[in-house]
Amino acid sequence: MYDDYEQPAYNYDYESDFGAHTGDPQLDNEYSRQMYMMPEVVKNFLVYFRNAVSEGSVFELQNLYEVHWPKLTEDYFEKRPWPEEAEVAKIVDNDPVFMILYKELYFRHIYARIQGGPTLEQRFNSFYNYCDLFNYILSAEEPVPLELPDLWLWELVDEFVYQFQSFAQYRARLQKKTPQELETLNSNNKVWNVLCVLNVLHSLVDKSNIKQQLDVYASGNDPDTVAGDFGRHSLYKMLGYFSLVGLLRLHSLLGDYYQAIKVLDNIEVHLKSQFAHVPACQISTSYYVGFAYMMMRRYSDAIRTFSSILLYIQRTKQLFASKSYQHDQINKQTDQMYHLLAICLVLHPQCIDESIQQTLREKSYHEKMYKMQYGDLQEFENCFVFACPKFLSPCPPPVDSIPDDYSKEAIRHQTQVFVEEVQQQKMLPTIRSYLKLYTTLPLMKLATFMAQNQRNNDGNWDIDKEIQSLIIHLLCFKHKMKNLVWTKGSSGLDGKFQSGSELDFYIDNDMIHIADTKVAHRYGDFFIRKILKFEELNRKLHHLKL
Amino acid sequence: MAEAMKQVVAGMLTGIERYNPENLPTLERYVEIQSRENAYDLEANLAVLKLYQFNPHKFNNEITSQILLKALTNFPHTDFILCKCLLNEQKLQDEPINQIIYLADVLEQCDFEVFWTRVHSMPELTQKITGFLDSIRKFVCHVVGITYQTIDRTHLAQLLGDVEDKTLKHWVKKYGWKEENALIFIANQDENIKTKNINEKIDFESVGAIMASCR
Repeated sequence: MYDDYEQPAYNYDYESDFGAHTGDPQLDNEYSRQMYMMPEVVKNFLVYFRNAVSEGSVFELQNLYEVHWPKLTEDYFEKRPWPEEAEVAKIVDNDPVFMILYKELYFRHIYARIQGGPTLEQRFNSFYNYCDLFNYILSAEEPVPLELPDLWLWELVDEFVYQFQSFAQYRARLQKKTPQELETLNSNNKVWNVLCVLNVLHSLVDKSNIKQQLDVYASGNDPDTVAGDFGRHSLYKMLGYFSLVGLLRLHSLLGDYYQAIKVLDNIEVHLKSQFAHVPACQISTSYYVGFAYMMMRRYSDAIRTFSSILLYIQRTKQLFASKSYQHDQINKQTDQMYHLLAICLVLHPQCIDESIQQTLREKSYHEKMYKMQYGDLQEFENCFVFACPKFLSPCPPPVDSIPDDYSKEAIRHQTQVFVEEVQQQKMLPTIRSYLKLYTTLPLMKLATFMAQNQRNNDGNWDIDKEIQSLIIHLLCFKHKMKNLVWTKGSSGLDGKFQSGSELDFYIDNDMIHIADTKVAHRYGDFFIRKILKFEELNRKLHHLKL
Repeated sequence: MAEAMKQVVAGMLTGIERYNPENLPTLERYVEIQSRENAYDLEANLAVLKLYQFNPHKFNNEITSQILLKALTNFPHTDFILCKCLLNEQKLQDEPINQIIYLADVLEQCDFEVFWTRVHSMPELTQKITGFLDSIRKFVCHVVGITYQTIDRTHLAQLLGDVEDKTLKHWVKKYGWKEENALIFIANQDENIKTKNINEKIDFESVGAIMASCR
């Protein structure tokens, strides 16, 4: 077991050595290059780390990656980069594979922790490092002798897509760039190019035969029969799987919801499978799938996707509470999903699990839902912007564009599409609130209510016109509430038209007949919980020693 | 023709080949064939829009308009939204894309009267799309079919775009509806749309543990 660095070989005085920090990043960089002394514990860690990689001891690596790396980061590199490549290379005998992996972590740390974010040069170098990594993995004649923990592989693929996203945003902000920077960017169009990113993800998918594997797995057979030499290897198999989720994210960022869902064919999002044991991956998958469904107006599917993952998070919260860096990400995505779920439930009221409903009753969500129910478009927009993915345009602004900030264009467009959808539905909540009060209601009577509600001041309205416009709204109600709902099949795009919302109606000539959903109180659930609590208390009492 | 093309095009849509701009001319031709022959292939059309997204200088307004009009013919499916999401703010304002966006908007709101007036006022916009009007009527019939038990005859004719009696009869027959003097009987909705009562069901699994501990 590796525990050397927990009892440092010598007492390393961190304060005094880093005391000369100037606060100026440029100077500090210089300073750290010349003066930086790598702490002994870090040195030992890197040597041990490298050995673990070359020996392929996955269990050990998992520990190093999930526990020791974050711990050392916190202790020594909270606000500064990990040691430079050259420094580390000396210690690990220039081990090429380890150096690629090290640099991936090194850059990832810069993206996450260093104030001001990565420089242009660092973004480029990180990209080239990814190229090295994927070339090593993909161009080998036979599977490379490398094994990494699944969590690492997931975070690697996810980070790759994230850095592309970050670059595209950075690239679109022309207003703060120097002419030299623009020149460098314009002459290096291949770096972080969207096709290149797609190519990597598709190659990883193809190399691993993961689609075929999932297909066979879904029909209950052994995936190894179709996996091929590479796909049987855990590294390739998991990279292939995570690349599918990477593609889901990438397509979503580009507003391509159809491809986003399609890429997951044969993955049953709501089911746990042998591939789905990385919680962050599970959660991310559900977030993007649910979002795509919402945009496609498949509210039932979105609600099902969100509530099932939120329930899972509720139940397993303690499991990842300890790992702080994952925790933040998961918390953020959870909050976003509650917002999206709130939006979906306002547009498409439906019964959901009681414990999820409980959370939505909390003040912050409750207030937002209330406002949206009363047709506050701004509130819809705020919730959407908070909860949506960070959309981006796949291409940089044209070379001759005026120096401006183009990074918000994509998000504005998707928001616009969403707001237009909400606007088309703006009369539905009012109609729903009236219909809820009746089992039958003549068109004429409802039209009168609606007219009084709208212009109660002058009272000048024509009943025939009101009925006409009411009928339009009623048709719209039926149309918008009847949507594709997934029932079975391997593709998430499949579905049947269903009215999943709790209130429904039909018109018989000039009479509206209303069907509502009545939910009986759930006594059983309540009693079960109380009994369990009582049992637990009883057990504890028995264990008390007086 | 469209059927044969479908096979050819399918190969262009798999894997990374989907993003190859050299396929664009073939895919664009396929869009035109769909318009002419009243065929439809959403996936191929989305691939075209994606290629435009990646290669803005290849953007073709005419083809994009046809794709959007074809998406209208597939209501109540949300294909139109999917297409719209792949465009951008500025393209939505181009003529005639902005007109098509407007048509989609009124159609989504089921304001059929406004829709027909607008379509008839600019026949050149939709005439390239074979069977366009009838596709919209199919959507009208879908909405009527899920909303009404019986509907006033003249009202139905209006929704279908002020059609003559003969045409009205054609659609009524096609959907198996029945004429009852001034009314049209659509279907007995009682069976589909009824009040649901959700009662609590307690399964054995959830009480099993408790019962075991009560021994």
